[in-house]
Amino acid sequence: MKKTFTSKKGNIFPLKIDELDKILKARFETNPDLSFTTYEKNNKKIAVFFIAYQVESEKIDNFLLEPILMKNIEWTNHSILNEIPLNGGKKVETLEDILKDILIGAVFIYIEGEDSIIAYLLSKKEKRSLQQSETESLVLGPKIGFTESMVTNLNIVRWTIRSEDLVLEQYLIGKREPREVRLIYMKSIANEVDVNTMRQRLQELEIDVIDDASVLMQYIEDSSITIFPQFLTTELPDRFSYNINRGRLGILVENSPTAIITPTTFFSFFESTEDLYMRWNIGTFLRGLRYLSFFMSTFLTPLYVAAVTFHYEIIPTPLLINLGESRSSVPFPPILEALFLELMIELLRESGARLPTKVGQTIGIVGGVVVGTAAVEAGITSNVLIIFVALSALASFTTPNYLMGTTARIIRFPMILLGGFLGLIGIMFGACFLIIHLLRLTSLGRPYLSPLYPLVPKDFNKVLFRLPNEYQNERFRSYRPKDLIRFGKKKAKNKKDIDE
Amino acid sequence: MDINLKVKKNLQIRAFYLFFIIASIQLGVGIIGAPKLIYLESLQDSWISILIAFIYIVAVVITMFFILNQYENADIYGIQVDIFGKWIGKFLGTIYIVHFGIALLSVLITYIEVIRVYIFPMMSNFVMGFLLLCLVVYGVLGGLRVIVGVCTVFFLLSHWIVFLLIQPSTRMDITHLQPMFVSPISDLLSGAHISAYTFMGFEILFLVYPFIQNKKKAKLPALLATGWTTLFLLLITIITIGYFSYQQIERREWVLLSLIKVQNFTFVERFDYIVVAEWMMIIVPNMLLLMWGITYGMKRLYKVPQKVTLYSVAVIMSFACIYFDEHYRIQSTIDASANYGFWLVYVYPFLLLPIVLIKKKWIKKKEEKSNAK
Repeated sequence: MKKTFTSKKGNIFPLKIDELDKILKARFETNPDLSFTTYEKNNKKIAVFFIAYQVESEKIDNFLLEPILMKNIEWTNHSILNEIPLNGGKKVETLEDILKDILIGAVFIYIEGEDSIIAYLLSKKEKRSLQQSETESLVLGPKIGFTESMVTNLNIVRWTIRSEDLVLEQYLIGKREPREVRLIYMKSIANEVDVNTMRQRLQELEIDVIDDASVLMQYIEDSSITIFPQFLTTELPDRFSYNINRGRLGILVENSPTAIITPTTFFSFFESTEDLYMRWNIGTFLRGLRYLSFFMSTFLTPLYVAAVTFHYEIIPTPLLINLGESRSSVPFPPILEALFLELMIELLRESGARLPTKVGQTIGIVGGVVVGTAAVEAGITSNVLIIFVALSALASFTTPNYLMGTTARIIRFPMILLGGFLGLIGIMFGACFLIIHLLRLTSLGRPYLSPLYPLVPKDFNKVLFRLPNEYQNERFRSYRPKDLIRFGKKKAKNKKDIDE
Repeated sequence: MDINLKVKKNLQIRAFYLFFIIASIQLGVGIIGAPKLIYLESLQDSWISILIAFIYIVAVVITMFFILNQYENADIYGIQVDIFGKWIGKFLGTIYIVHFGIALLSVLITYIEVIRVYIFPMMSNFVMGFLLLCLVVYGVLGGLRVIVGVCTVFFLLSHWIVFLLIQPSTRMDITHLQPMFVSPISDLLSGAHISAYTFMGFEILFLVYPFIQNKKKAKLPALLATGWTTLFLLLITIITIGYFSYQQIERREWVLLSLIKVQNFTFVERFDYIVVAEWMMIIVPNMLLLMWGITYGMKRLYKVPQKVTLYSVAVIMSFACIYFDEHYRIQSTIDASANYGFWLVYVYPFLLLPIVLIKKKWIKKKEEKSNAK
């Protein structure tokens, strides 16, 4: 080897086309898809190279090769850039840039003797069409979901938030395989400290590859030990824009349909944009239902286990007779029975998630109805417990965020153990531990249990319940947005007596 | 040792949390049995005893504020060193730490005893103590802000217990409270003295005061908190006296739990079980604040890292639980805590105030003299 080009930085041009070919072949030795063609005209040589399936070959034929070869364009960088009817042409000088661009679908034209190379970005990207999100579904409101393509997602975001305030900062994260990450927020609303914290976390992240937005999220979260998600994930652009408009930050990652929203509180995992689309009183009811179901899915089975194992005095006599009858043929202690059934439900859920939809439904019916009934008839479990377990499993799926629903289901297992060994005291211990844990958590440095602590009563109407829209004229105080007021309050109506 | 503290901005708390801090440290195990003890002293005029105690407490709290306001940003450990010098000041500070330690132990073992009597007679003291101390250690590791958060959240989550008093209150016999004003003053005063243990805990104000952001607004929440606990005790005492007869009260150790047993629904009975478990939410903030007081005091006085004190006190306490498994031992600890605490909490501030004022005046005069020269 005469020269080692691989490690050389800076301009590698001018050089002979043969040499260029050698360098590229050396780099793409194991890659048969590099198309490198040389053309010759009027004693001048020109080389065109690209990766075949990464580019739109029709465009290359029609708008690049045809003009260069057929028309009388002078073969210099200047005139080619001037006269070729394609946009986005640029001059590239270093090998690193060539390699970076060629992977994302650039076409390079090198005229022998010139001191730089021309690149056109003609990338072709296979993407799926816009679809409804499968993990989050809404009855009312926009149905469209994010896709894996960053361009499409940015396009959707720009269309849903048509404001000049919108900032989309670009980051490239990943040493070995840099991926585009966008930090999105409203300049005039989002808290600057939050933005800076997020920027710092993104910039300081050292990692080879980020596999997905959910993985990036785990790297930049406040606490990595806890079971609770500290950032919100969503596939719904309307949920995304709702949060951005309220002054939170959003993050989009290339090749991931999941958007990250931050900072969040424990309560924001129970918010659905549907609460907004419904009337406020119905929204309040639905939100209350979700909190209740989180409580149920965590504590219902453990409470049953505790009551049946230790504290049957708590259950009134008529109810106790029913319970006793259903449990009379069960040979196991309640804790084993409960763990067995909970495990069964988890198996059903997991298999349902892995199988294709049609088979999944069948399995659900077989597992739920057939195995459930058979288990009771065989005397392995009591039918009262089946009701409790099924209820708490149902309840865990009402959480609008899949991560939080999973968390609720997982917490249930230690709770069942505590309830089975220490009764109500054990469950109370678990609850106290859980609350202290939640109090210690932060999301982007903001308290996780806000507005309960720090106590912000003015935020209760956005978190715990909803009020008619004219009273919702402030943004979340807990997130300290730059601009607190959404719109001016209406003037107080004159009080009128009846029949005036 | 610095007399005035410099508290970082992110560690400060707003003044109105003082309400939750003081209310949750005052409500503790004492209130379960207090109505009986007060009733045995001052009979149907117990409510007067409680009001006397309240008025006295207001006076103490205002005195404490007077003392604290003489300094820029000091706590009791700093003030004592400033006034009595290094050695006596540190000794008095140690008395405070020991007071918190005994109070913590008494809360812990009383609650374990309640659990053992009501729910698990065979429960090992060590296991229960270990579990509770796990919560305490985990909470204190989060720092004062988390502790205040625990106070706030648990306060909001535990006060539904009041609604369980509705059913017994409808069955009250009002004649039990009559005739009024028959107990002599001495009985009323000893009734007030008995309730001192229940109301104890607001001395934590001496410690958390430097952490408060807007000190000018601190008085109202502190006084409101004492008012709240007084109201709570008053309510329980009046309902107890109205619902039970003298003999019934005399026979019961924890009248509040017997009172709550009355309430029942079609799907749940025996609320006393649930309330004993729920009482953990009232105990934990209590223990957290006391434990924090100990660790913080050790750091201030002897520069021991808070974590070291935290772990060692937790280990000592969980082994101490094994020893305190007999009722008379527990009772003697409570009595010790009550007697010892009475002088420290209810009398000492009145002695401290004139000394602080005299010293401040003396320093001022000295400064004026030196300026005149």
